[in-house]
Amino acid sequence: MDGQGARACLVVDDSRVVRKMARRMLEECGFSVSEAADGAEALAACRAAMPELVLLDWNMPVMNGIEFLRALRAEFVPGPPVLLCTTECEMERIIEALDAGATEYVMKPFDAPILRGKLEQVGLL
Amino acid sequence: MDELLADFLAETAEGLAELDTALLRLERAPGDTATLALVFRLVHTIKGTCGFLGLPRLERVAHAAENLLGEVRDGTRVADGPLIGAVLAAADRMRAIVDGLARDGTEPAGDDGALVGQIEALRAGAPAPAPTPPTPAPAAAPAPPAPVAVEAPAAPVVVEPQAAAPAADQAVDPQVAGQTIRVAVEVLDHLMTLAGELVLTRNQLLQVARSQAGHDFAVPLQRLSQITSDLQEGVMKTRMQPIGGAWSKLPRLVRDLSQELGKPIELVMQGAATELDRQVLELIRDPLTHMVRNCADHAIEPPDERRAAGKPAVGKIRLTAVHEGGHIIVQIADDGRGLPVERIRAKAAALGFATAAELAAMSEAEIIRFIFRAGFSTAQEVTAVSGRGVGMDVVKTNIERIGGAIDVRSEAGRGTSFTIKIPLTLAIVAALVVQAGGERFAIPQIGVLELVRVGPGSENKVELIHDTKVLRLRDRLLPLADLTDLLQLPPADSEDRFVVVAQVGGALLGLIVDRVFDTEEIVVKPIAPILRHLSVFGGNTILGDGSVIMILDPNGIARAVGLAGAEERPEEAAHAEVLDMERSALLLMRAGGEGLMAVPLRLVARLEQVARGDVERSAGGPVTQYRGRLMKLITLAPRPADPAEWPAHSPVLVFARGRRIAGLVVDEIIDVVQDQLNVQLGAAGPGLLGSAVIDGRATDLLDVGYHLSAAIAGWFDDEHEQASARLLLVGGGRVAGLVPVLAAAGYGVATANDEAGALRLRDGGAMFDAVLVDRPDESDGFIRALRDAGAWRGLPLIALVGRVPAARLGQMRAAGWTDCVPGGDRALLADSLASCLSATVAA
Repeated sequence: MDGQGARACLVVDDSRVVRKMARRMLEECGFSVSEAADGAEALAACRAAMPELVLLDWNMPVMNGIEFLRALRAEFVPGPPVLLCTTECEMERIIEALDAGATEYVMKPFDAPILRGKLEQVGLL
Repeated sequence: MDELLADFLAETAEGLAELDTALLRLERAPGDTATLALVFRLVHTIKGTCGFLGLPRLERVAHAAENLLGEVRDGTRVADGPLIGAVLAAADRMRAIVDGLARDGTEPAGDDGALVGQIEALRAGAPAPAPTPPTPAPAAAPAPPAPVAVEAPAAPVVVEPQAAAPAADQAVDPQVAGQTIRVAVEVLDHLMTLAGELVLTRNQLLQVARSQAGHDFAVPLQRLSQITSDLQEGVMKTRMQPIGGAWSKLPRLVRDLSQELGKPIELVMQGAATELDRQVLELIRDPLTHMVRNCADHAIEPPDERRAAGKPAVGKIRLTAVHEGGHIIVQIADDGRGLPVERIRAKAAALGFATAAELAAMSEAEIIRFIFRAGFSTAQEVTAVSGRGVGMDVVKTNIERIGGAIDVRSEAGRGTSFTIKIPLTLAIVAALVVQAGGERFAIPQIGVLELVRVGPGSENKVELIHDTKVLRLRDRLLPLADLTDLLQLPPADSEDRFVVVAQVGGALLGLIVDRVFDTEEIVVKPIAPILRHLSVFGGNTILGDGSVIMILDPNGIARAVGLAGAEERPEEAAHAEVLDMERSALLLMRAGGEGLMAVPLRLVARLEQVARGDVERSAGGPVTQYRGRLMKLITLAPRPADPAEWPAHSPVLVFARGRRIAGLVVDEIIDVVQDQLNVQLGAAGPGLLGSAVIDGRATDLLDVGYHLSAAIAGWFDDEHEQASARLLLVGGGRVAGLVPVLAAAGYGVATANDEAGALRLRDGGAMFDAVLVDRPDESDGFIRALRDAGAWRGLPLIALVGRVPAARLGQMRAAGWTDCVPGGDRALLADSLASCLSATVAA
């Protein structure tokens, strides 16, 4: 997979394991992947080079997913599509997230087919 | 997948450690939303991640905890004691599962239903019951009781902000997270080795350059030298970790102990950011934990006692770490009751560590150092005096192994403080280069206190007391070890020599060397396996001129020369005393009669109390559960066969031999005495070795070996050949103390007062399997008499010797002794007997 034609995706999650897992799935789909461990890092990364997709965790230290989303949408219009990863105990917040500007959500844990399906839904595949 | 799993394990372990600290912080400040968010996120992350990896047990536990915490976050309940306790229990379970996962690669089998049920029950029971009412708690809820929290509403464990800071920093500071990379430890270790090699090469170059005046490369060489030093320092820094890492588990430990013991304890940690080499960090982790546990367990008094003494009810344990020179000083201090000096003194006397007169002359500081002596704590357990100092000898050994030192101060009623000095790194040390017998050696400088010139031109002279070299140094007698003698090197031609005064534990030791060169930073290389059994060497190194030299280990030297004055060899001192019969600790008791009985204390593994209800009848007699195993109880008649008729509690002497254990039930333990044993052998019935007058009273000496082998078939099985072997012990009163020891080891023992007596026995037709002679005559007349003729000429003949030169040992063997064993070394004697006797059997 050469990085030239590949589309850039930023994976934002405080778990190294989840980032690595997501990286593998996304690379299989043809993305070139960079990582951030929290919202603040992600925002800095977006300012440096805007990715074409953000895969975003909700619960993170420093700046959580929703805060990042609000900041991103305020600063960049329209900005990249953001796929929010949630778990069932955050279900009630999905509306809040969609209001804040999330493009779509995906339930954790996800696997490659689910992620691929979501990406198709968003129109990235 | 494997790589992911490894990542997961590392991440989760970190998360769980952080979770513990965060939970304790939350318990103290239930309204702290930042901490609550952190706790929630940590649990959430674990749960979220293990879903990906298919770890159902972990996910279930994390999920339950997360749900509970979710209620706190949503404001429907408060983070009270039971809730924190439940989440801590969940964290413990997760840790256990993660440990199993790390070990086997799969989640260990197990049922978390009960734990999850408890957590769910807590949720269902919301709103949370206000601090547990004083009614007895229902027996069905064993998980999160918090009795202390009730008794002392001021939270039981308080961790000052300094302690919490590093954890919080890690969690909050995005800069740090962003600019850190993970590097495998092997890579760093390799870099360290390379830097070490570079230092050596630099030293070599400098040496060459020194011999050539006015060369062109002086300036670049100086730069190279500087850069090498910087590089070495830089690489060393990469291996540095904050000592807080070794402390992270302590707040939790103290909290749990505090609750368990009903003593509110405040743990203060200062200097958690102080960095030291990770290798050193690993090595001090356990000793530190052990010592903090001791503080909480033994040193801190119960709150009532503290109030009565005018102290705050909350006990305080203070951990501090600071850099000082090339060392880290770690201090563990408490404001508890202080070490029980008189009890330590009594115990030291009972164990024969020193004579009563010596003990009386010792300062308190010297007395309390006995807690570091091997065997001290075991003995303390034996006499059921649970005091401080359990396993302190192990702590001391571990710290000295890494070139550190430990000291203790204590003030009655005010507290105790332990000070540990440890090197920043083990890889590079400053060392003194000395010469002895034409060879050069390095002595690590940490232990070197001073250098003294001795010889004709100096006011200091080496003197001889008996055959032992000593140095009179400022009114103090310093034991000496002569390197040339010790290492059998050719003696120096010059009378002018030097003594390197080294600290060996609490004692001083002087090493006699021929010359002293320089101090040098040396890179410690591990010693070759072929030399590893030589305790006098701690490693080797390469000097600037390229020569390879050995690094001496003063601790090992003290052991090798068996310095009686050095603390390091208490076993030997103790054993020597058995032989010398100056003192012998005996346990006095009553069992099955009015008469007094005695057992040598060193044969007893532990003293226990057994409750009547815990004794069960089995076909072979009464038994009880002891540490998860069934232990047979031996009773000395008369005692009712039905344990139900026994007294409510009986003292039990526990004997252990390999995996086998047995308990001797006695009526009453009276005392531990030390006395000159004047044994009348064979004077009493079976099961008794004889009798003696102890403390002015006639006392029967119990034959432990007899009772154990009578009660448990095969007690001596592992030494079957020896079990029936009969030994003749020559040496009269001096060796009487060995009799019970050998008898307990399964030998039949007869004694003779002196060599003439032994010869009379031989001529009278007596036969033995081996003859042991204590300090045989120097002229070798006796051994010749035995070897030249008579029925004993082919027997194993073992000499028990004092400190004799190696050359003399050779002579003794040549004269016919099968083996020469240092008199005090019981283990060596056992080995020697075993090998001599099995050789006889084979022949």
